[in-house]
Amino acid sequence: MESRILRPTLAIYTACFLLFLYGPMIVLAILSFQSIDGGPQFPIRDWSIYWYEHLLGLAETSRVSQLPVGESLIRSIVLAFMTTVVATVLGVMSAEAFRTKFKGSGPAFYLIILGMMVPGVLVGLGMALLSNTLDLGRAWWGTSFVLHVVYTYPFAFLVMLAIFNRFDRTVEEASLSLGVSPAQTFRRVTFPIIFPGVLSAMLFSFTLSYDEFARTLFTAGRDLTLPLAIYGTFSVEIYPNLFAFGVLTTLFSFTLLVIYGLLMKRFTSKASRYKGQEDA
Amino acid sequence: MVHDLELISVGKTYPDGTVAVSDFDLKVEKGEFVAFLGPSGCGKSTTLRMIAGFEHITNGDVLMMGQNVTDVPPEKRPTSMIFQNYALFPHMSVRENVAFGLDVKGTPKTERDRKVDRILDMFDLEQVADRKADKLSGGQRQRIALARGLVVEPEILLLDEPLGALDANLRRIIQNELKLLQRELGITFIFVTHAQSEALGLSDRVVVMSNGVVEQISPPRDLYRRPKTPFVADFIGSNTVFEGTPKGATAKGFGRIETPFGLIEGVGLGNESLAVVPAEAFRITPQNTPGEIRFEGRLAERKLVGAVGHLKVRLSEDREIAVEVSADRPEVRALELGAPITLGVDPASVTLIHT
Repeated sequence: MESRILRPTLAIYTACFLLFLYGPMIVLAILSFQSIDGGPQFPIRDWSIYWYEHLLGLAETSRVSQLPVGESLIRSIVLAFMTTVVATVLGVMSAEAFRTKFKGSGPAFYLIILGMMVPGVLVGLGMALLSNTLDLGRAWWGTSFVLHVVYTYPFAFLVMLAIFNRFDRTVEEASLSLGVSPAQTFRRVTFPIIFPGVLSAMLFSFTLSYDEFARTLFTAGRDLTLPLAIYGTFSVEIYPNLFAFGVLTTLFSFTLLVIYGLLMKRFTSKASRYKGQEDA
Repeated sequence: MVHDLELISVGKTYPDGTVAVSDFDLKVEKGEFVAFLGPSGCGKSTTLRMIAGFEHITNGDVLMMGQNVTDVPPEKRPTSMIFQNYALFPHMSVRENVAFGLDVKGTPKTERDRKVDRILDMFDLEQVADRKADKLSGGQRQRIALARGLVVEPEILLLDEPLGALDANLRRIIQNELKLLQRELGITFIFVTHAQSEALGLSDRVVVMSNGVVEQISPPRDLYRRPKTPFVADFIGSNTVFEGTPKGATAKGFGRIETPFGLIEGVGLGNESLAVVPAEAFRITPQNTPGEIRFEGRLAERKLVGAVGHLKVRLSEDREIAVEVSADRPEVRALELGAPITLGVDPASVTLIHT
């Protein structure tokens, strides 16, 4: 009886969710195949891959200047990578520390979580003021990097905390009682077991840093990251080359996801496929 | 003589003041099988974990082969622990699990393989050696855990309710294996359990604990026949405890106490106030031997379970006692409910204890 109302409602809700999730992306993708004389809106005058060529600098001549994303893309990827490494290492280490209650663990927890709670604009502005006061130069690899870590580290920390929550401590104790040092136990027992969680924490950190805007806006200095560069082009006029770029970055993100999925799958099925003995 | 394991008034008090274990004294000889027995929460697992080094010891000392290991971390102690939930490494195959301890220690490959193969063979695990450990049955997983713990050749094997997660049949099988194994290897076993039958059936000595305190340390038979505290009398076997007032010793070296059911003699000094009578010490046909203790009552209940007859005899308005007799005897079958019955007890099977 209940499912007669509940099920269709949920179905409609899911359909709406998918529509609003993918709708904008699909529209963007369609418009990216606009012809040379078409604008950033419907109707499509003619199908072409002109704007992709334009984006990559392959188009012969153009009244539209090339999208200034090349260097900023590199910067964003490097920044996201640096952030991922530092935030994940910190996240794993602090979650490990939080497995045993220590003095002040409550306040420490909220202090870490604060990093993702405070509005980005405020932290960004504060950081800009601070670096001015201390006479430090602002740069994407310096001031922005610090803020990205502060922002993504709580996410990595929370992911790892959840992983450790389900972690069976006796497995580590078993290793210790076999005469294996704590360091080796972490490397050969704990880490392989929590590795899927580490991957998730890395994915989180990377994605969050890759399209971070507010914090970076105030702290990046002269050299812009990708989100800032794209935002900058809005102030002139929008051409479909932006859409083409959107499609490419989305593909990039999907690639990351696929790699993540493959690593997860490979990892979780590794032991069952294992034939021989490890030569350590 | 140097003991394999020695606990000297070992205790653990948590920071909030709760006492988990206090004044635990024990000396274990090489190759001995010692069981820690007690209800859950009595401190037996905590003590085992202190021996393994996983729990901080707040009082006393732990010695192994004469060396004080109180502050030695678990990985540097000559112990190996077996867990109730097996604690196998889920990301490794059976063989990798077993080889792990030797691998990390850097044992040469040929020696490692020889030892691993031997122990896999011993535990009948060669067929599943390349399978993932958590896909196997409980009994197999417990064997893997044992193989993994024994292959590193510990001096002392610590077992924390290792059979608790197995079903009754499997438990009996692994119990037998454990006993054989221990005899064969000559390694000291410390075994924690809350199951009486396991402790009494497997071990050379049993440590009975309650509320963090050692109640009694005895071979299983003595524990059964000569309980030393009211807790043990109540916890082990099926005993009847009579309260009374001390009446001194008799000429034959027995103690004597006065109870509402008459004078009871038993093994003791005569200054005790409790008499413990095992359920199977009661005879329903008094032998009229000199010194025999008599109880008059009425049969309140009779249950025959296999070869054992479980009787309830009402001695007074508010006192009913449990009696175990052989079910084969014709006089047991002839008993009628409510009929008067005379029970006789040999004083040698009665133990007098302090409250």
